[in-house]
Parts: sequence; C-alpha cells; structure tokens
Amino acid sequence: MAKTKISLKLLKNKAQKEMLQAKDLKDLDIVFKKYLGDEGEVTLVLRSLKKLPKTKKAKIGKEANELKNFLKIKFAEAAAALKEKAQKEAELKEWFDITVPGEKVAFGHLHPLTLVQRKCEEIFQFMGFSIIEGPEMEEEWYNFDALNIPKNHPARDLWDTFYLKNGLLLRTHTSPVQIRYMEKNQPPLRIIAPGRVFRHEATDSSHEVNFYQVEGLMIGRDISVANFKAIIQEFFRRFFSKDVEIRLRPSYFPFVEPGFEIDIKWGDQWMEIMGAGMVHPNVLKNAGLNPSDWQGFAFGMGLDRLAMIKYKVDDVRLFYSGDLRFLNQF
Amino acid sequence: MIFSYNWLQSFFTRKLPKPEKLAELLTMHSFEVGEVKKAGSDWTLDIDVLPNRAGDCFSHFGIAREIAAIINSKFEIRNSKQIINSKLQTKDFVSVDVRAKQACLRYTAKVITDVKVGPSPKWLKDKLEVCGLNSINNVVDAANYVMLETGQPMHAFDLEKLEDQKIIVRFAKEDEKITTLDNQVFNLNPAILVIADVKKPVAIAGIKGGTSPEISEATKTIVLESANFDPTITRRASKELNLKTDASLRFEHGIDPNLSEIAIDRAAEIISRVAGGQIASGLVDFYSKKVLPKRIKLDLDYLKSLLGIEISAAEVKVILNSLGFKIIGVRLPLLVEIPTFRLDISLQEDLIEEVGRIYGYDKIPVVFPLASLIPPVRNDNLFWTSIVKDIFRGVGFTEIYNYSFQKEAGEVEVENPQSLEYRYLRPSLIPNLLKNVEKNSVNFKKIKIFELGKVFEDKTEKRMLTGMLVGEDFYRLKGVIDSLFNKLGIVKVWYDDYQASPEDSPKSLWHHKKSAEIKVRDIELGFLGELKDKPNIVAFDLDFDKLTALASEEHEYRQISKYPATIRDLAVLVPALTRVEEVLNVIETAGGSILKDVDLFDIYEGEGIGDGKKNLAFHFVYQAEDRTLTSIEVYKIHQKIIEALEENPEWEVRR
Repeated sequence: MAKTKISLKLLKNKAQKEMLQAKDLKDLDIVFKKYLGDEGEVTLVLRSLKKLPKTKKAKIGKEANELKNFLKIKFAEAAAALKEKAQKEAELKEWFDITVPGEKVAFGHLHPLTLVQRKCEEIFQFMGFSIIEGPEMEEEWYNFDALNIPKNHPARDLWDTFYLKNGLLLRTHTSPVQIRYMEKNQPPLRIIAPGRVFRHEATDSSHEVNFYQVEGLMIGRDISVANFKAIIQEFFRRFFSKDVEIRLRPSYFPFVEPGFEIDIKWGDQWMEIMGAGMVHPNVLKNAGLNPSDWQGFAFGMGLDRLAMIKYKVDDVRLFYSGDLRFLNQF
Repeated sequence: MIFSYNWLQSFFTRKLPKPEKLAELLTMHSFEVGEVKKAGSDWTLDIDVLPNRAGDCFSHFGIAREIAAIINSKFEIRNSKQIINSKLQTKDFVSVDVRAKQACLRYTAKVITDVKVGPSPKWLKDKLEVCGLNSINNVVDAANYVMLETGQPMHAFDLEKLEDQKIIVRFAKEDEKITTLDNQVFNLNPAILVIADVKKPVAIAGIKGGTSPEISEATKTIVLESANFDPTITRRASKELNLKTDASLRFEHGIDPNLSEIAIDRAAEIISRVAGGQIASGLVDFYSKKVLPKRIKLDLDYLKSLLGIEISAAEVKVILNSLGFKIIGVRLPLLVEIPTFRLDISLQEDLIEEVGRIYGYDKIPVVFPLASLIPPVRNDNLFWTSIVKDIFRGVGFTEIYNYSFQKEAGEVEVENPQSLEYRYLRPSLIPNLLKNVEKNSVNFKKIKIFELGKVFEDKTEKRMLTGMLVGEDFYRLKGVIDSLFNKLGIVKVWYDDYQASPEDSPKSLWHHKKSAEIKVRDIELGFLGELKDKPNIVAFDLDFDKLTALASEEHEYRQISKYPATIRDLAVLVPALTRVEEVLNVIETAGGSILKDVDLFDIYEGEGIGDGKKNLAFHFVYQAEDRTLTSIEVYKIHQKIIEALEENPEWEVRR
C-alpha cells in the first residue's frame, strides 16, 4: 500500500508541475483532464478503491479525495491566473491612443463679414424683411439729394465722399437703396440692404476706405419709434444670443426726423452701434410716396463693427488684409 | 465744443445736477457729451453739438436752454443795464454800405468811445481760458466772451484806422490781398466776401479780421460789428483759404439774424464794463429782410402715432415752452410759434422730435409692429452667393475681401483718391488677389483663395467670382470648377481654347496656352488657367451674374439601376499632341447608352512607350437600366469601341 501512497504523492507533484507549465487555458484543460477527467489518473485511483479492503479503502480513499480537492482548487487558481494573463495580453493588443491629433480636413473658411452678414440676413428674414441690394457706384441724387442732403449743405461734409471721373460717386452709405426700393415698390414694406460703402478717410484701426453696412427700412400706416425699438432689440438679442440693453439718444441725420443714435450696453460701457430714425417726409416725397399716408423707420449699422464686437477683432483693417493667418480662424 | 459748467450754472438760480450727471442728461436728451474735466474751480464739458443745432447751441445760452428744458427749471439771461451816452450817435461816427446784399443778411455796428485797451480782468480771462480761447485784450476778449455766450461772432475795429470811417461789405476784387491778425497774407478773389473801408479789405467777412484797423493799446474809439453772413459763402471761403476760425465755424452753420442786435448790445455793455468808454446810442443796422417767427401746426394724434406713446397736451406744452417755443391759442391741433433762433425747425416732425427727446426716448415702450404676414421675397443673387461660397469653403478655399481700389490703371478713375495706391476702381479681382498670394506665400506653401466682389467698367459694375490656387495644377482647379457647375445645375459647360484678340493679347493676364475660356453653349462665362508669367499660380475668373442666370435648382432623381455594372479598363497609345477630348468623343459615340461612365485615370508619357506618344488609361462602366448585361453584350460593345479607336491609324489600343 505504500506504493499507492507514494503514487499519490508523485501524482500531486506531477500534476502541480504540469499545471504550472500550461501556457493557456486550453493546455490547462488537457492537464485537468489528464488527472481529474473521467479517465484521469486521480479519478482512476479513486475508482480502484472499490477493490481494496475496508480499512485501506478508508485511509487511501480519504487521502485520494483530499488530493482531488486540493488539485481542483489549484486548477481553479491556475485557470484564474491564466485568464487574467490572457486578458492583459488581449488588452495590450487592442491598446489605442485616442489623444493622437485628428487628421486635418482641408475645409475652407468664409470671411467673418460674410458670416456676420448672413446672421443679420437670417434674423431680419425671420421678421419678414426682404433683402435688397443696390449699386456701389451711385448718382448724387440717390446718395444725397433724395435723402434730404442738398448740395452745398454743410451736412454733406458728414460723409467724406469719393467722386469718380465718370460723374458718379462711390456710395457713402446704403441709404440710397431706400429710395431706389421705394420708387419701385408700394408700402407696406420691410427691407434690409446690406452692402459695401466707401468713405474718403484716413485709415486706422477703426476706419477703412471701404466697409460694410446694413440698411433697414420699414414703412406702413402707423409704424412708430416703439415698433423700431422692438425690432431692433430683438435683432440684437438674436445676434448676440443674449439679452442686450439698448438705448436711443438724439442724433441728426438729414433723412430721418426724429433721428437717433442707438447704443448697446457691452459690459459696463455704452457702445454706439447704429444710426436710425423715422423716415423724413422729404425722403418719402422724393421716393414718390405721400408722407401723409405713410410713415416708418430706417436704420443703418456697420457690419465691420458688429464683426469686431462679435469676434473681438481690434483692427478693422484685418478684414481687408487678405491675411490667411487671420482669415483661416473663421 | 468745450463748455464751462460754472458759466452754465450762472443762468440758473437752482443748483444744477453734478457735472457727470448733467453730461448724462445732455447725452440722453440733447447732445452726446464726451469728456467731463475739472478745470480749477470749474468743470468743462465737451459737448458734441449736432450740426443742425449749431445755430443756437454753439453757445452757453443754447446749452442752458436745453438744460432748462431737461430739468424743467427756469433759466435767465441777466443783462445789466447799458449806460448809453445819448449825446453820441453811432451813425455820426460810422457809415455802413452793404453792397453784397445776398451774402450779408444783416450788419449791425455800434461805436464805443474813450475806451482804455488793456489786459482783461481775471474773471473774463478765466472764462475764455476754460473754453480754450486765449486772452488778447479787454475789448477783443469781451467780443469773444459774447460769442461764447450767445453764439454770435463779433469783431471790433479801431474807428480811426478805418479810412473815411466807412464800412463796405462787398466781394473781394481780383488780386486783392489781406494780412490777417496772425500775420498771414491771403490772396482774395471775387467769391470771397470782405469787409472793407474805402481803400482796402479790413476783414474776411465772418472769418477773420485784418491787421490794418486792429485794436491796439492806442485805440480810443471802437466800432463793433455784429453781422450775419451767408453760410454757404462763408463755408466756401473758409475752405478755399483753408482758414477755420471760431467765427467761420458758427457762420457756416447759419445763425439767427435777430441775434445780431441782442449780441451787440451785450458786447457793448461788457466792453464798457471792462474797458470803460462811452456807448454811443443807436445802432447802424442794415437788415434787408427781417426774419419773423414761423408757425407750425402740431397734431397730437400724429405725435402719438409716430412716437408710439401718448403724451398729454399739457406735457407737450410744457416741453415746447421750456425750449422757447410759443403755443398760440388753445385749440387743437396746437399752433406753435418757432423762435427764429431755431433754424432747424421747419416741419411738424421736427417738433415731434423736440417733444420726444425731452420727454425721453427711454420712456417709449417696446411694441412689435402689427403688419400683414407678407413673406420676404427671396433675393436670388444672395441665394446663389451663399451656395457658391459654401461650395468653395467645402473644397478648402478661404474667402477674401479686398479693396475695391487698385493702383493699376482701370477704366474708372477716382477724382479724389485717398492715395495713389487707390487711384482706380478695380476692373478685375485678379490684381489684388495676386497681391494676397504674394503676401501669404511667406507663411503658406499651399494657397486656395477666392473672392466674390464687384468690378467696375465705365458706368457699370458687375460681380465677379475669382480665385487662385498655389501648389495645385490646372486639372485640379478644372475639377473644382466642374464640381461648381455640377452643384449649380449648369450643364453643357465646355472649355474653349483661349484666343486673345491681337490687341488684347499684350494686356492679357492669362498664359496663352495653359488657359481656357469657359463657355456654356455660346455664353462666355470666364477664364481658367495659368496666369501669364506666374507658373506656380492657377486661377479662375467667372462672371457671377451670368453664372447665377444659368444656375438652376431643378434637379431630377435618376433611377438607380437594379442591374449590376461591369467595369473594363482600356489603354490607348496616341500621339502626344492628341487632345483627350478627341479620344473621349470617339469612345462615347461608339459606346452609346450602355457605356454609363468613362473615367480617365492615368496619362503617361515617357520611357517604354516611345517618343512623341502618350498612354491614356480609362475605366469604362457598362450598365443597362432594364437588364443584366451578358458578358457577350459587354464584349461586343467594348470591341466596337476598340475598333472605333483604331480607325485612327495613329491610335493604338493596348490590350
């Protein structure tokens, strides 16, 4: 019987050794079957007990059962270790760095003034305004006279004008579009007119020889200052995506009466942003409308200025620099 | 313009709001106030008087009147009494002859004898200094003081230095000269109005006095001038002589002629106070057409409709009265008498502005207009502008806005250019874009830019769509342009050889071989290709208005064939000077409708195929709408194409 005892001890050592040599779960399974499977060596020992006398049976049986349980635990441990190892390896294989920068897409860039103009157009279109354009080379009549700015009037000095040798001038504001539109269209009407305008000025960080304006005009039977306040407050709210405080203060433009300047509150500062007023009866007359039938408001604002505020640009000249280091940021 | 806080205060018995607060009130109701600064025991307010209000508000009186209306308080002009010597008559000392009656609406003169010219008292010096004027002597200072107070410019002459004691208001003669008080010599001409004695001009009317009858320590008798000169004539002279003064600034904006007399009396009083002397009685007064106050009807319903707020008749009256307007009678609509100093008021709307601003625009409610639900009209130009810009952004172009001006000659020249760089209006977007390329190539190897803007020719302007590419070739750009047409729904686009007419060719910007004219049917849309002498730049230049006229949103879906496509490759060896289009034409004609698509995927010239040859490699896609093509069908049509190609003895299909 000593032989069986020895063989159990040998079996234990052998099984443990082979267990450790197993490289993966599949190997381990083979080893498991070899010892604890249906035809496994330990199983066979246990099966052979039947043939032994009672006393021996009890003693060896106990030892063999202990070995079986011991090996089971060890196998389970080995399996767990191998599983963990396999998982680690798999993870290593799948390791992936999401912090590598994305591949550059060759997308282009729209000019900031295009973006701002689009935004204005969108907001006013929501409020029922049509978008109208006019020529950049303009006649004196439309740029000045029709807007109640007669020749030799000191008010003309407010607009430093480029005159052309072909007898025309470069429009100094988008207001001529008001006249051109009213000549051809009957009120009630609601338009905005975005476009390029020109001033004969020395350039600096806030002045350019050409820049952009948006003109607005709303004419009806009883359009009032109160209506203007509502439309323009809504515009700024949508443009800056937040409530913006506005104020009207008296100003003078020959083509409106009353006339005002619009300031918006930006931080704790009031910032001048737009000229506006109720369309002057002479302007309505010059455009062929009867001022006793129609009234309304008009306004004009600088798109460059809006873009400067929106994008925190401190020099208007950057817009016309063609510098891709600037333009590629939009 | 600079105003003194203490001076403004002097018109009120009640204490004015603090300078900062006063500035804010004026900004909200009258004029924007810039800097508020402490000046000794006084404060200065830099008030940006609106140009239409210069007539009454380039003066402390005017601003005080505004303040009185805003704070609803009384303001008083306190005149101390003039002590007039009734034995002396102004008209015995001096005569006035206004010859240029259109240019001089009014001329008043007054004489003060036995003055002692000397330094001004401190109070006078201080007031002038606060407002930015230098002290000269007590007589001149007093005249300037009254100008700052009333807005009426004045001038004082030494009577004894006036030849024949005669004042003539006339236009200057050709070649007349004058030396002004600051010793500048000006050449005059008949467009310039002067004050003269019998011999020579003694002052440029409304602008500056001359040296000859200057007030000096020796002056005993002075003639004060308080006149009203035509704004336009003053403005032109001031521009022509490049001479701007406190007087010219006021005259060129227009002044109430009735102010002349008020101001001259006030000046005489102050001169006699600071320089002694006897004020002669009476006034030499040339006033051809007295200006009387106008009356305007004010309909309160219209006021309500225009402002969008109801303001009671009582409130309207208080506001108008405080600004110096008079309400005549009690009936509605209100009949309002406009004081002559309010040169800016001529319509009912002007009065509504007065009421509105003093009442406060901030009190007007925010009310959305009631309007018919008329949807806005689509602007086709802007619609396509937006689409085209998005297409270019999509394929990696950056949008540029350049100046409308250029240095290089164009058809439209600026009369008064800001600088030589901006002498012409751009006839093309190309020159300025070339400058962009040049500037950016310092920082960028690859450049893709475009601009959509107006160009100018004679009296017309049109939109151009122009772009440039650096670091890519002709075909890459042609692909971009093809996609553009595709996206705009423009079909039948073809590229014609660039043919500059003999007179055009030297001026042309394009490489004579590596550029093409882009056409749709017979419409010339623009050009594409390499620029002359710029081998690394390819460009396109399209007439945007023609482009949008052709563009179409119409787009029809085509059934996706349920049947499989068969792809075959084919290579043709052709002489190097053969155009791909010729080969394609043969292929497409032979292929018929079953040949769904042909794609040139390689052009090879060089080793292994012989000199003067090139190899064109194509993918063919065969597909039918109604059946699966059999391999025999595909074979037959493919053979047909090969045979058609080989009909040309110089072409060899490589199998």
